[in-house]
Amino acid sequence: MEIAFYLSALVAILSTFRVITHTDAVHALLYLIVSLLAIAMVFFALGAPFAAALEIIVYAGAIMVLFVFVIMMLNVGQESIERERRWLRPGIWTGPAILAAILLVVLAIALWGGGSLGGISGDTLQATEVGIRLFGPYLLMVELASFLLLAALVAAVHVGRDEERQIEPDRTMNEPAQRGPDND
Amino acid sequence: MNLTTSHLIALLPLLIVSATVIVVMLGVAWQRHHFLSATLTVIGLNAALVSLLATLTVTPIQVTPLLAFDNYSVLFMALALIAALACTTLAHAYLEGFDDRREEYYMLLLCSVLGAMTLVASRHMTALFIGLELMSVPLYGMAAYAYRNRVSLEAGLKYMVLSAAASAFLLFGMALLYAESGTLEFAGIGASMNQGGHDLWLLAGIGMMVIALGFKLSLVPFHLWTPDVYEGAPAPMSAFLATVSKLAVFALLIRLFETAPVTGNDVLHTVIAVIAFASMIVGNLLALRQNNIKRLLGYSSIAHLGYLLTALVASNSLAVETVGVYMVTYVLTTLGTFGVVALVSSPYSGVDAADMSHYRGLFWRRPYLAAVMTVMMLSLAGIPMTAGFIGKFYALAVGVQSGLWWLVAGIVVGSAIGLYYYLRVMVGLYLHEGEQSRRDATDDWGQRSGGVMVLLLAIAVLVLGVYPQPMIALIDAATMATG
Repeated sequence: MEIAFYLSALVAILSTFRVITHTDAVHALLYLIVSLLAIAMVFFALGAPFAAALEIIVYAGAIMVLFVFVIMMLNVGQESIERERRWLRPGIWTGPAILAAILLVVLAIALWGGGSLGGISGDTLQATEVGIRLFGPYLLMVELASFLLLAALVAAVHVGRDEERQIEPDRTMNEPAQRGPDND
Repeated sequence: MNLTTSHLIALLPLLIVSATVIVVMLGVAWQRHHFLSATLTVIGLNAALVSLLATLTVTPIQVTPLLAFDNYSVLFMALALIAALACTTLAHAYLEGFDDRREEYYMLLLCSVLGAMTLVASRHMTALFIGLELMSVPLYGMAAYAYRNRVSLEAGLKYMVLSAAASAFLLFGMALLYAESGTLEFAGIGASMNQGGHDLWLLAGIGMMVIALGFKLSLVPFHLWTPDVYEGAPAPMSAFLATVSKLAVFALLIRLFETAPVTGNDVLHTVIAVIAFASMIVGNLLALRQNNIKRLLGYSSIAHLGYLLTALVASNSLAVETVGVYMVTYVLTTLGTFGVVALVSSPYSGVDAADMSHYRGLFWRRPYLAAVMTVMMLSLAGIPMTAGFIGKFYALAVGVQSGLWWLVAGIVVGSAIGLYYYLRVMVGLYLHEGEQSRRDATDDWGQRSGGVMVLLLAIAVLVLGVYPQPMIALIDAATMATG
């Protein structure tokens, strides 16, 4: 499984890199799907088939397909590709890239010095054990995670509501809502 | 793993706050009523506050491997609940004039408090992460609450994007720690650190976590978001961000460092000391040129967190007590300052009245409100007879006790710089009114809950400044159960 782990990890990194650098949104999303599949493979190689299956079903299967549809429906055209291209001028990304490269060198040195590239061992984690864990010691976290989702939902519903019909025609996003008479 | 009655009693504050979220949500689903939602929220928060007394009867207790309820976490939970109550009363007055849905705010606030309480009690990385996210995710919504207003939307988006980056660091750090120590409990990680041998990975993991928590606390290299978010978010939300989120994250940081000590490690020790020093100096210097009170408070909070970090660097017998005392004074003072800003900006009408010119001559229009602002500014500057002095005194004492002379020098220099801009705000209150159009609090501000709360805060700041013994005794009793 070792070679599978390293290969899929490499694929994940390369495809994520393309997600960031690609100027076409749909292509970038396709790379993101590849990246998620590769991460699922990493999970599988580490002995967590349940997490791998979830990764594919939930992320690659459901969420990403939704993303692709939305992007296709939004119909982002040549203009946004041009804009993305402008944003990705060398001047903009060379600085962070150099910094990240330095971090990479540090990591590589640390790898050679401190840790060792040992083989992957350990037990395979089945769905049953994950379930027992989740509803045993981690029960409170499951409940709190549901509140996290609720909070995210409330925030998203509030901020992302379609208010076209309720906004007065003369107000735009750039003008603050005027209510009080003494507003400056 | 079974939950017994005493476990449930310990969990009572969390359960009550959770139940309140559901009740408020169902209430909104049934009928939108601003006053009803606010009242339910206040009742829930008060009930949770009272239930902390019941929790005290069973502390210290560990509930599941994730949460530890000891006197320390009860103290910070109480502080978070009080701050949330204050923000609720402020928000009620503020949202009266809000021409959009108002009730969601209370749900978001309650969820965020729930996250803060989890964070304060967590003794396990999972609880840390879920707690931190549960606290932060509602904050995005709260910062962008007046989303038709461009600055508010900008504040929400900025906070969300940068917060997500910080969360990535946090998770990466946790993964490294887990890979090296094989456990997610703070105590287990501490034990494996003491064994030695894997210093590099553990150091990288803790370092990444420090980056993430430093972002949440807006310490200096990670502070760039602070002024924009403080300025853009509506005033009651800024107050919440400046108090509840800061105190919960700091309480957690102290617990993490007390149970998994890294102070033996010189590199990390030096890094945190440098962060503390830079926060004090940079925060104060940047605040000098601000004309917007909310931005000014943002920069000054960076400096205050820098002073607080001295206690973490020292990590001596006085450290936990210092953090408690400083946090209480900082929270009271910050709530009071943002309270005045919120009252002057209430009811909501677009952009908050945060420019210095809005406060010019406030004394001649609203003498009591100006007096409150004066007390708060004096307390922020750390003048004797106010609570801020007690906090600063502790920060200096803890620095001197550990012989951290350049951090002590940083506190002194920072306070001296700080005095200038706090006094500048104060002087403006007593000048003659300018020509500019002005914003003012409503005539009956003193009879409304927000106004009463601000007056009480001012009294508390003065009383604690003169007679701090009860507070110190209370914080002395708030010991942490390590391990």
